[in-house]
Amino acid sequence: MAYPYRHDKEVRVLSEGFGDPAARTVEGWKRYGGYQGIARALEIGRDATIDEVKNSGLRGRGGAGFPTGLKWSFMPKDSGRPHYMLCNADESEPGTFKDREIIRWTPHQLIEGCLVGSYAIGASHCYIYLRGEFFETTNVLARALEEAYEKGLVGRDIMGSGVDIDMTLHVGAGAYICGEETGLMNSLEGRRGEPRIKPPFPAAVGAFGMPSTINNVETLAATPHIVRHGAEWYRQWGTEKSPGTKLFCVSGHVNRPGNYELPLGFPMMELIEDVCGGMRDGKALKAVIPGGSSVPIMSADDCRSCTLCYEGVEAAGSLLGCASVIVMDENTDIVKQVRRMAYFYAHESCGQCTPCREGTAWATRILRRIEDGLGTEDDLDTLIEISEQMTGTTICVLSDSLAMPIISSIEKFREDYLALIRRGERVGAA
Amino acid sequence: MSDVPFRNPGWAGNTGEFDLSEADVRGTAYAGERPLDGGHPSTSASYPFMLVARNPGAPLFEGPYQERFEKIRGRYPTARAALLPALNLAQEVRGHVSPETMDEVAALLGLSSAYVRGVATFYTMYNKRPVGRFLIQVCTNISCNLCGADEVLAAFLKHTDTELGDTSADGNFTVVEAECLAACGFPTCVQINERYFEDVAAGDVPDILRRLTDELKGD
Repeated sequence: MAYPYRHDKEVRVLSEGFGDPAARTVEGWKRYGGYQGIARALEIGRDATIDEVKNSGLRGRGGAGFPTGLKWSFMPKDSGRPHYMLCNADESEPGTFKDREIIRWTPHQLIEGCLVGSYAIGASHCYIYLRGEFFETTNVLARALEEAYEKGLVGRDIMGSGVDIDMTLHVGAGAYICGEETGLMNSLEGRRGEPRIKPPFPAAVGAFGMPSTINNVETLAATPHIVRHGAEWYRQWGTEKSPGTKLFCVSGHVNRPGNYELPLGFPMMELIEDVCGGMRDGKALKAVIPGGSSVPIMSADDCRSCTLCYEGVEAAGSLLGCASVIVMDENTDIVKQVRRMAYFYAHESCGQCTPCREGTAWATRILRRIEDGLGTEDDLDTLIEISEQMTGTTICVLSDSLAMPIISSIEKFREDYLALIRRGERVGAA
Repeated sequence: MSDVPFRNPGWAGNTGEFDLSEADVRGTAYAGERPLDGGHPSTSASYPFMLVARNPGAPLFEGPYQERFEKIRGRYPTARAALLPALNLAQEVRGHVSPETMDEVAALLGLSSAYVRGVATFYTMYNKRPVGRFLIQVCTNISCNLCGADEVLAAFLKHTDTELGDTSADGNFTVVEAECLAACGFPTCVQINERYFEDVAAGDVPDILRRLTDELKGD
């Protein structure tokens, strides 16, 4: 079984079973050390499991980078109410395609992660919220979950430990905002996927009004490895503030786009030039979006010394997000791409908050106008003004997610905007 | 099958040597045929609900579908939570979710019609009107867009001879623009009913349409 493509700089923790169809079965996954993490968790107990994850320094892989162990420790002890574990598999951030790979190649890795998480927070039911478009992916996970039930790994008295953990696949129906944690809870409860005001936080009042914890697929998938091998083992990779490995989803104008598992703190230029085989057709690098479409755009200069860890990308003026590196070459029309993103956010805005509902829609129209050569220089000021009003004024961060690329693209690629505006003026004058 | 674009090994792009079949990558050999009654209750909500054969006049939730609906109901602490899976199920049977269907689902779950309409219209995957046998969703979001998604979308529209959102005269194809499908490393990604086609270029479009038409004949 030859892997399609392997790079020797990769560190395979999560991605070890990728490309091997046999890893989808319980038996096959056990050959990769599967179900030893949950076995060890059951052995060392709840608090020790949380401590192990806390000490590993694992940070949430869904974008915010919140420490996972700390999040788990917020859950009340002996509240007397049911607790819910929610797994966010509603992967829809443009540029991100890691969770789908984890689920379709190694579904048991996720199931085991959900078991570890559920056990640690005292949840007896775990809901995995999958995005509706993932039919093939969901089918693989469904088969795997059935197999896990058959073998007594999930359900009543898991692995003879006396602990009951049920798991249910819940399939969404196409809404980006359901990837927001409280939006997901509303959607799970059969409501419109509108985010809720926090506080109360999910650890106090979450799904069905009960204490809940929500984690990303990649986060949960990493926990069995951490519990099995220990926090120190996980800390051998990455940096002090961003330990461990991360799947980097590289897309855009590179020769070998794809998912690469690398230690955090990996240099960005090495990722683009070496791991991904360099820029397509030998073109020059123009811009990079390092963390999915919701983060500030970086210019080629910003990338030179940037290292890919939470603090490294922040120092370079952007955010690591979910490490979805979108690479753009010198021929890219930045204004068109920002307009496409704006259209996306306008389409996906749930409409609860005015700054977001109106801001995303108007930003799209103004960007379209500039793209069509009908813009003026004042439009750029208007865009910045709108974006500033969209930042920090809404329930969730969807509108901030559009404001960041707009502001950063005008700052860093003002010439691109001005070229379109001037071209339009010339056409108008003729 | 080799002339149809499934070059993506589903791993690290379309380079290198790999010896995986399409079934290996899609996982169809492992997942197998999922039973109509939904199989195990934990997974009963996860059946592919965009079938080629569907009937807008079919009764809602009879026989195995009734069983599946009951299984879904049993997985949630409230009846309301079964709404999304129930609408999915209704769409699987009928192909789209009409206002009448929404009313029926509302009655089954003890919710008001207005509430169900409010929820159903929030989500894009519920087809509020009938679509073709194949619903072709072309991702035109940023990663695919950088690699020519606009041309792929134009090619689908040209070769099916339809306008965006409309259904072709033979009732086979509806072409729509989709938001990010989470296959950004394999642009352009096109979702056709429940299948993903990845690394699609504009030139591949006639082959894909031929494959789909052949599948219809095979039935």
